[in-house]
Order: sequence, then C-alpha cells, then structure tokens
Amino acid sequence: MRGTPAMKSISKTLLLTLFMYSIAMVTRAQETGEKIMLIANPKGAPAEMKMSDVKSVFRGEKQRWADGTQISIAMMKTSTPIGEVISHKIYNMNGNELNKFWLALVFQGKAKAPVFFNTREELETYIKITPGSIGVVEEDGSRTLTPLVIDGKKAL
Amino acid sequence: MIPLSRFIRCLLLLSIVTISLAYGQETQIRGFAEFHTTYQKDKLQFGLGEQDLFITSDLGNRFSFLGESVFKFEDASPTLFNVSVERIIIKYNFSGNHNLLVGKHHTPLNYWNDTYHHGRVFFPTIYRPDMFNEHVIPLHTTGIGLQGHDLGTLRFGYDLMVGNGIGNGSNDVSDNNREKAFIGAVHIKPVDGMKTGVSYYHDVISAGEAHGHDGPILKEINQQLFSGSIAYFGKKFEFLAEGTYAMDKNDSTGTKNTQAGYVYAGYRIRDIVPYIRADYLKVPAGELYFTHDTRTSLVIGIRDEINYLTVVKLEFQHSESDYTGNSNFVTAQIAVGF
Repeated sequence: MRGTPAMKSISKTLLLTLFMYSIAMVTRAQETGEKIMLIANPKGAPAEMKMSDVKSVFRGEKQRWADGTQISIAMMKTSTPIGEVISHKIYNMNGNELNKFWLALVFQGKAKAPVFFNTREELETYIKITPGSIGVVEEDGSRTLTPLVIDGKKAL
Repeated sequence: MIPLSRFIRCLLLLSIVTISLAYGQETQIRGFAEFHTTYQKDKLQFGLGEQDLFITSDLGNRFSFLGESVFKFEDASPTLFNVSVERIIIKYNFSGNHNLLVGKHHTPLNYWNDTYHHGRVFFPTIYRPDMFNEHVIPLHTTGIGLQGHDLGTLRFGYDLMVGNGIGNGSNDVSDNNREKAFIGAVHIKPVDGMKTGVSYYHDVISAGEAHGHDGPILKEINQQLFSGSIAYFGKKFEFLAEGTYAMDKNDSTGTKNTQAGYVYAGYRIRDIVPYIRADYLKVPAGELYFTHDTRTSLVIGIRDEINYLTVVKLEFQHSESDYTGNSNFVTAQIAVGF
C-alpha cells in the first residue's frame, strides 16, 4: 500500500492543502492580530470616546468637536500595511473601498478629506501641530502621543 | 468674444485657486473623464464624454470652497468644445453639522443629482436615468441654502434652498422675475449604506423659456415637483428607486401632471456588478413645459470597478417612446478619476 502512485498523489494533495490552510491562518492571525490606537491633538477630541462615535467621526458625519474645533482626520495611506488594517477595523472596508468612500464624500461637498500619510512620524507630527486632529496608528508599544481610550481600551 | 458673465466666473475661480495656493491652503484639484463607444442600427461610433475639473479648498476655520467645471462637446462652439460651470459653492459651517451655502448648486431634489453630479466614475450605470434627459428635475440653481447632515441617531439631514430657478432670463447671474425657486429636502440614513428622503420644489417659469422639443413656452407655468427616493448600497446588494410627480399649472391648459421614475438594482461579486435599471416617464398631452410622451426603458449592464478611479461598464438599453419610437443600443464606457 505504502508508496503506490495513488497514495503519493493523495498525500501530496493533503500536504498542499494543509500548507495553504496554514498560510491562510497565519495571514488571518496577522490581520486580526495587528492592534491600532487612536491619537489626537489635545485641543478638540475628548480623552475617552465610544467606538460608535469614533466611527461617526471617521465617516465624516461629525464636523466639529464639542468645543467647536474643526475635526481633521489623519490616516496612514491605504497602500501601507497598517493602512489596510485601519480600513478594516474602523470602516469595515478594504483600502480601495475606503478611497472611493472618501472621494465620493468630498465630491458631494459633504465632508473635508482626511490627510493621508506615508509614515507614522509624519502623521504624529501633523497631530501635534493641528488643533482638532485625530489619527490612527499601529499600537506597537511606543508612546509618542497618549492614546485615546475607546470603549475602555487604549488599543483596538 | 467670451461673454462677460463667463469671464467673471472663470476669473473668480482662478482667483480663488491662486490665492489658496499662495497661502498654502489645503486645495485639491481632481478630475473625471469618460470615453464611450455605442453600437446602434448597425453603426459603431466613438464618443468623448465630459471632462470634469473638480476643485476643493479649505479657506479658513469655517469657510470652504467647491468648484466643478465641465469641458464638453458643443456643436455650436467654434472649437467644438465648451466650458460649463456646474457648481461654485462657498460653504460656511456656522455650527456643528449645519452649513450655509451660497453659489451655484446641484439641486438636492433627489439622490442621483445630489450624489453623482458629473462624476461618471461614480455613476452606477453609464447614462443618467431618462427623467434627467427630459429635464424633469432642474439640475442646478444659483442661490443660497441651509444644509444640515447626520443629525441624531437616524442621521437626519435637510436642505433648504432659494434660487433664481428656471425661466427666460433666469440664469447664474440674474433672475428675470420676483419669483424665486424654492427647494426643501429631508432625508434619513437609518443604517449604513442606506438613504431615504423626500423633497419639494416650487418655481414660476416665465413665458419665453425655451425647453423641450416644442420651442419656447407661451404661457407662464407654476411648477411644483414632489420627489421621493430610497437608496441602499451595501457590500453585496445595490438598490436605488426614485420618483417625481410634477404639477405644472398655467392659465390655458390648467394643471398637467407628469410622472417620472426609475428603479435600479445591482449585485456585487467582488469588483464586478451586474445591474438592471427600468425607467418610466409619462408626460400628458397639454403639458407645456415637458415634451408630451410616454417612455419606458430597460437597461441591463455590467460594471467592473477595476479600482476606485477606473470603472468599465457595458450596457444594453431598450427604449420605447411614443415620441421617438423604439430603440436598442449597446454602449461600452471607461470612466476615470485623476
């Protein structure tokens, strides 16, 4: 029985399937394992927010904070790995859908476009100097800016 | 010789762009264009669509600017192309989600006109529904408006607008009479991807206004439009249904009622969306503003959203019209944003 062509073929198929499944699981773990955190300029955003309010802000449904400061959204470009993660976690969209969503909203005159960045450093600099700004970055333990607390958590 | 009004508009647009660029304002310039080919009655032809130049600028803490100009084929133009200013809007965000808008607007009478404007890359189908071809909906008005959006748990929104309206001599720089066009629209967005609303439009269209196939209207018309829409664009299903009931009243033929509407449905399979749209238009005899006709159309198509800036569509359309007869044609289009 061992070593027959049929058995070899079945074994190869099973191994390949197992290998592909493992890759898929690792990839999925990487996607859902990435944690993000929200950071904001001290003027404007509250220190704690509900996730529903975060989504409302990032969908352009809210133009100003409670103190009247204009909201400015800062995000990593969807072409960056963390940008794609943010698209899924905040918007439940892929990068292409997110770009289309914002282009359409700006085209309708309904909202101001977010500012997209290539690097985390650029995004954090923007947050520091722009009143009313709020951004999303990868949660990697570094604390240049204090993260906002969202539904009781500092990382999502 | 360029008309003075057009020169002034171009100068205003150029000034705003120049000033905002000089002061490092957040000015964005985007564009949209489309190219199509149509096969009808054993003839294949190619067509260049509108090129849409879209500019937005954040002018300060509460002011912003939006401008949309379209370059399109114009048979009567010496260069065969013409520029049309479609929107110039200065917005003042005076409180929360409430805005004051001045300038030339797309009327917020229905979902299609308020959402897609001239950006063909956003259109779910190649062409606008028939109700737009017959100008049942006045596309633009120049005036002033109040707008609110995403208010409360149902994400309520409103638009109240007063403008120059339609009429012989009513345009982007003047109004020929004391009567103003009034627009009132409200909507809610109960779930993500869904928007439903109603609107009302009133205007007095003065005699002499050239419209439709029958030449200038001879009598003043008191026009009222009642419109409703429901739209849902989700991850898989897409649905859009709109209708308008127009009541045109004049001294000679009384009140004539026009009905226009369409239903669109699509189903997304990754980046591919097969879709269907049915249009209906009924303009009664004796109607002075719209062309008397009963027209139905069926559109079957497929849309490939290659990315958010590049969309290809292929459509078959069958139309039946008392006025123009029956027609069948196939159209392919590539629409881009840049």
